[in-house]
Amino acid sequence: MGQAYSTIAFDPAKCDGCGKCMTACASVKFDSTDTTRSLIQIVRSGGARIEPPRPGEFELALCRQCADPKCVTVCPAGALGKNGTTGVIDWDASKCVDCLLCTIGCTYAGIALDEHSGRVSKCDTCEGKPACVPACPTGALRHITTARIYNEVGSWEDLFAPGLAGCQGCNTELLMRHALRRVGPDTVLATPPGCVPGMGSVGFNGTTGTKVPVFHPLLTNTASMLAGVKRQYERVGRKVTAMAIAGDGGASDVGFQSLSGAAERGERILFMVVDNEGYMNTGMQRSSCTPYGAWTSTTPIGAHGRGKTQDAKNLPMIMVNHRCEYVATASTAYMEDLYEKLDKALAASERGFAYLHVYSPCTTGWRFQSALNIEVARKAVESNFVTLWEYTPEAGLHFTRPVDKPLPVADYLKAMGRFRHLSPEQVEHIQNKVAENLRFVRKIAEQADEQ
Amino acid sequence: MSERHQHYPAWHLKEAGVPDDLCPVATEQSPMLPGDWRSFRPVVDRDKCVKCAVCWLYCPVQCVEEHAAWFDFDMKTCKGCGICAHECPQRAITMIPEAQ
Repeated sequence: MGQAYSTIAFDPAKCDGCGKCMTACASVKFDSTDTTRSLIQIVRSGGARIEPPRPGEFELALCRQCADPKCVTVCPAGALGKNGTTGVIDWDASKCVDCLLCTIGCTYAGIALDEHSGRVSKCDTCEGKPACVPACPTGALRHITTARIYNEVGSWEDLFAPGLAGCQGCNTELLMRHALRRVGPDTVLATPPGCVPGMGSVGFNGTTGTKVPVFHPLLTNTASMLAGVKRQYERVGRKVTAMAIAGDGGASDVGFQSLSGAAERGERILFMVVDNEGYMNTGMQRSSCTPYGAWTSTTPIGAHGRGKTQDAKNLPMIMVNHRCEYVATASTAYMEDLYEKLDKALAASERGFAYLHVYSPCTTGWRFQSALNIEVARKAVESNFVTLWEYTPEAGLHFTRPVDKPLPVADYLKAMGRFRHLSPEQVEHIQNKVAENLRFVRKIAEQADEQ
Repeated sequence: MSERHQHYPAWHLKEAGVPDDLCPVATEQSPMLPGDWRSFRPVVDRDKCVKCAVCWLYCPVQCVEEHAAWFDFDMKTCKGCGICAHECPQRAITMIPEAQ
């Protein structure tokens, strides 16, 4: 297995051409206010010149640190080379003969002549901490560092069968594969009725869908049955992680009694809830985690019905009130955060009950295109519809990815067909509910800060 | 790789201490491959790929394969959901209809 590298991403739709990235680069790299020296250049595209410029009209000229760099290929002096560890294309000033062939070889204008020094200059990503990205006020530039997850776990074995029958673009399948690989092969897995076994993790026709022991409890007894399995392993002296991957229906409605009991007794298990806000496997019925106003097959839209009439239950906060060893919320759009929480939950499950609540958009039940899955998950967090936090009895509750400037919740709701029918009053109700939920969780977080 | 990922007894029933007279235990992996569900296939522009592994990170079936200078996909399991093409920060992936 080779290696993946961090990259700087540019979203032209968010760029307003303010040039603060160029100012930051020129200042850090050359101690200069001359933005023409900046190694990142934002260029207004040709064509219509209507003032003021609009987002989408700006393009980026920046070294992409290509995997197969053409500048390196054309350099006759061997002055450019791909660094296998950092991924950066390094320029060796002592070897460069100033022929400028590289500036023609690069089709992205990533390497250019610096008029002041008379030599070429290119981005070196500021040793992994690019100064341009934090300077960007609109979020058009992002430094994507998730390659480190690949470098760490990319070669570990996927502990599910290659073929699972989850819907195209299924967020739950994504989450299961990442989570079980991280937790590892010394695991006994419980998957109560829902999408997780439904897509074949417990197998079809005498075959199995996982490479670890897996069993299929009832909706009602997941946590109690798993607790018993774990105790038996402890009795025979084997160190095994007892893990449940349950849906929100299997945790918050039908299986809540056994979940609450296991949490209260402090059973040493790792309970992960995949919250797709309904019974999606059986045909998209509402659950107590379905949000207000959402269409489901049991909260239909018609002459009278306008979607679910009740607000969602905040299950992770209920688990906080069990004073579990570890409680956290997570989202697959924030994988680095999710991986940190998986590690902490795994460690906590050796001492007591660890509960991980992951919000998981459902392309089929929420009515959006499969390709937009991660974007929907991201917007849920960016609008504070979903908040990411963790709780331990010692440290209390803390936000792990606080959102300073939240999107209006309407931006999130518009991304899905299940909210298409909403009236302005219903949107207002949801926005107020988001504010109320946030106030409630913030209050608990502030109490933890005071301690 | 941590120590707990080294040891891998899952397919060795005796080593794993699984009794063979308790109840039927599935020991064969499901052979189902969902690649034939696909109506669109992801195609990688190898010049644009910078190997950031974002496609791997978000691929629900984890069908992403690493090559020397780019990432590609295992067409036996790729369901054609299009998440990789939508999330690729360098826009190196295009979804094209399978009919073409």
